[in-house]
Amino acid sequence: MSDFDSKKDLFEEEMPIVFGLDDVVSSGEMIKNVEVSAAVALDAAEDVSPVFKELASVELPELPKENRARLQMQTPNRLFFYWSMKSNPFQTLRRAFGTPDSYTLVARLVDLKRNVEAIYPIEAEGTWWFNVDSDSRYQAEIGFYAPNRPYVRVMFSNTIDTPRKRPSSRVATSADWKISARVFAEVLDISGFKQDAFEVALAGDRPQEIQAETHRAFAKFVEGNDSDFAGIASDELRYALMLIASGLQIEHLRYRIDASLFALLEASVAKLSAERAAAALKEHFDINAEDIYEHEETGEQVIGASLVNFPRRLKRKRSVSGYNPVSSFR
Amino acid sequence: MPLGYFSLVLHAHLPFVRHPEYPEFLEEDWLFEAITEVYLPLIFIFQNLHEAGASPRLAMNISPPLCEMLADKLLEERYTRHLENLISLAKKELNRTDREAVEFYDVARMYVESLTASLNLWNNRYQRNLVNAFRDLQEKGVLEIITCGATHGFLPLVSTHEARRAQIEVAVTNYKKHFGRQPRGIWLPECAYEPGIEDLLKDAGIEYFISDTHAILYGDPRPRYGVHAPVVCPNGTAVFARDVETSQQVWSAEIGYPGNDLYREFYRDIGWDAPLEYLRPHLHEDGARRHLGLKYYRITGKDVPQQQKQPYMPELAREKVAENAMHFIGERIKQARQLRETFEGHPPLVVSPYDAELFGHWWYEGPQFIDFFFRKLHWDQSEIEAITPGDFLDSGLPIQIQQPTASSWGENGYYKVWLNEDNAWMYPYQHDAERRMTALANRCRVLSPDDPKLETRLLNQMARELLLAQSSDWAFQIYQGTTVQYSTSRFRSHIHRFDLLAKMLEGSNAAAGVSLGAEQLELLAEIESRDNIFQEIEYRVYCT
Repeated sequence: MSDFDSKKDLFEEEMPIVFGLDDVVSSGEMIKNVEVSAAVALDAAEDVSPVFKELASVELPELPKENRARLQMQTPNRLFFYWSMKSNPFQTLRRAFGTPDSYTLVARLVDLKRNVEAIYPIEAEGTWWFNVDSDSRYQAEIGFYAPNRPYVRVMFSNTIDTPRKRPSSRVATSADWKISARVFAEVLDISGFKQDAFEVALAGDRPQEIQAETHRAFAKFVEGNDSDFAGIASDELRYALMLIASGLQIEHLRYRIDASLFALLEASVAKLSAERAAAALKEHFDINAEDIYEHEETGEQVIGASLVNFPRRLKRKRSVSGYNPVSSFR
Repeated sequence: MPLGYFSLVLHAHLPFVRHPEYPEFLEEDWLFEAITEVYLPLIFIFQNLHEAGASPRLAMNISPPLCEMLADKLLEERYTRHLENLISLAKKELNRTDREAVEFYDVARMYVESLTASLNLWNNRYQRNLVNAFRDLQEKGVLEIITCGATHGFLPLVSTHEARRAQIEVAVTNYKKHFGRQPRGIWLPECAYEPGIEDLLKDAGIEYFISDTHAILYGDPRPRYGVHAPVVCPNGTAVFARDVETSQQVWSAEIGYPGNDLYREFYRDIGWDAPLEYLRPHLHEDGARRHLGLKYYRITGKDVPQQQKQPYMPELAREKVAENAMHFIGERIKQARQLRETFEGHPPLVVSPYDAELFGHWWYEGPQFIDFFFRKLHWDQSEIEAITPGDFLDSGLPIQIQQPTASSWGENGYYKVWLNEDNAWMYPYQHDAERRMTALANRCRVLSPDDPKLETRLLNQMARELLLAQSSDWAFQIYQGTTVQYSTSRFRSHIHRFDLLAKMLEGSNAAAGVSLGAEQLELLAEIESRDNIFQEIEYRVYCT
């Protein structure tokens, strides 16, 4: 990931010089010069052979009319989808079903693990960013939708597995690799993954109990029922509670939490507040407001490259029964 | 058995930048700067450490594009010219500072001496062949050289099985060409992993890969030793994940060693400080300013404005780097002790992967740090032992079976840097080329590998263009907002060239064979001469 020629932004002041001030340039000029140099090189092709001219071209060829439906993961909560169609889909529909008047061309995103779907009206060609759930499996389709009529699938994409965003709850069965929640929390802590260490320690070796407690806390928070968030992982619910309790607005959670949970929170936004989230955490997990972590979206900048991934950090650690963070690692 | 093991892994990679169509080209400086500041010093240090009996041991990826550039005659000649030009500027500076800026004289002298030594190493000791120098270090047991994706393609964003496989297999073949053996390990480009990639690696004979931390920490089931021991995927391929603590100590712009006040300031460069007329003989024909590598200031302080930076003092920096190396080892001993306690006696392994270009280019004193580190590790303590991932696999220590999770080492740990609103436009073109490559390779699969027919030339060159378009460097630079125009042009031009060649093939009658006009033949020859990476390539790697 070496950003070998990344020499901007860190040099904002006008530069002093060893010689004299007339020749000072700013970083802006520096970057512009870099770009101009490449451009000059390519433009220089104007007066040369046809082959040189042809190769100086940086025009992308026109993509041929093809059926394309490709899904790519960006993050566990965001997918990119692009599609195009070889021929007019409405003509195809007309040939098959007669009048297509009531039908709308849609992209349909199917969560294959949870068996839920969402549809979005689209054009015959385009791109889309989907907000999705982590630890699931997705496929996108292009098709025709009309209320009270059969859905007509035209084409479908590859499938994408979104990864889990936190440690697995599964422990190895072999005695050599078995690890208690307390020790695993230490392992995570010592590895710099303090937020995950906190969560693992909190859940301990009684995940069902903590899941039930989380559901009770969340139901109280949103003034809803367990069934409203039955398919959502309890650690994701606690994570959202923590984020809200730390003062984040619901809108800022859009790409940080699973899409289904975000939709649920968005629907209840008027009832939600940081105070209510903090109260739920206090009542159900004995977590004090001052112990709530601050989520860090990006890690520290590293030298000579972009932001390398560093684990999320706790603003303040809290001892969970049986777990004392062991590292002095900051 | 030592208290703990430590595995330094350096990732040396630059995108393939070679422009024979121009007498000089700005972006070729990336390679030239890295040779002077990183590769030559590291090779020299490793050889000296070995000759002194310090037994340095580490893994190093020298990516296929870098190998190809280091072995390229044109770039070799241009680099020699580049270095001679720098020496001439440094000598001019020695006179000038002696006359009118005596506070910089010692630094000017340092540059004359080090650049002259570099030229001597380049011409005489290494005979302008750094690939051989690296190979020699592997033969002597200093380096375990690992491979990378053929052109550093971001594998989870490559759309077809065949195109992913080509990134791996072309890399392995290229490794064998340069290093004369099968690679044991691979640096997955950007440490980008998704389940299934290990099957491609196993098919190519690769035993292990390097991943980011959460690939293992979030893997299934929970890892008994976290990232401080490797795991093996269910198919038997081993995974070594990045230790966060050592990453931060060496790499963090906030708290890392390279930010020390005494170290050389990167952003004050004579190419931007000196009058244009003075510099002109040392610039390219276009006369544009650029970084030249002679820098006279120290960091001085994190918040000190550029105009208030103080002169660089090499001796003070050297003392500091020795101190930092000692501190780093002390921290490793503490870390190993703590891990061993948590692991109930199991010896931990700390894997520390870094971009090689951090050491020397971004952090001028970085090669000295590595030098001090290995010396002190060997002579001043016995608790930590430096090993490579391959050594660990050979140790016979048991390894847990686990399915790692999708991840990369980029910002936020997934694929956002390489797939976002700024660069998503690239993928429909790349993916189309991937499908088209396999379709055309399948059509011509019956040709003999030695067939001199035009079809073979066209398909091999299409494979090169596709691989070059897939370099993750272009999407990365576009996201970063640096050299956006160049990166965009490179991606576009490789797709354009791929399309030109594919049309020549598609326009022919399969039975009668390809027939090209004079201009098309000239075009093919010109593309071959420019994008001459992987002369050994065999397009059948794309067949279904």
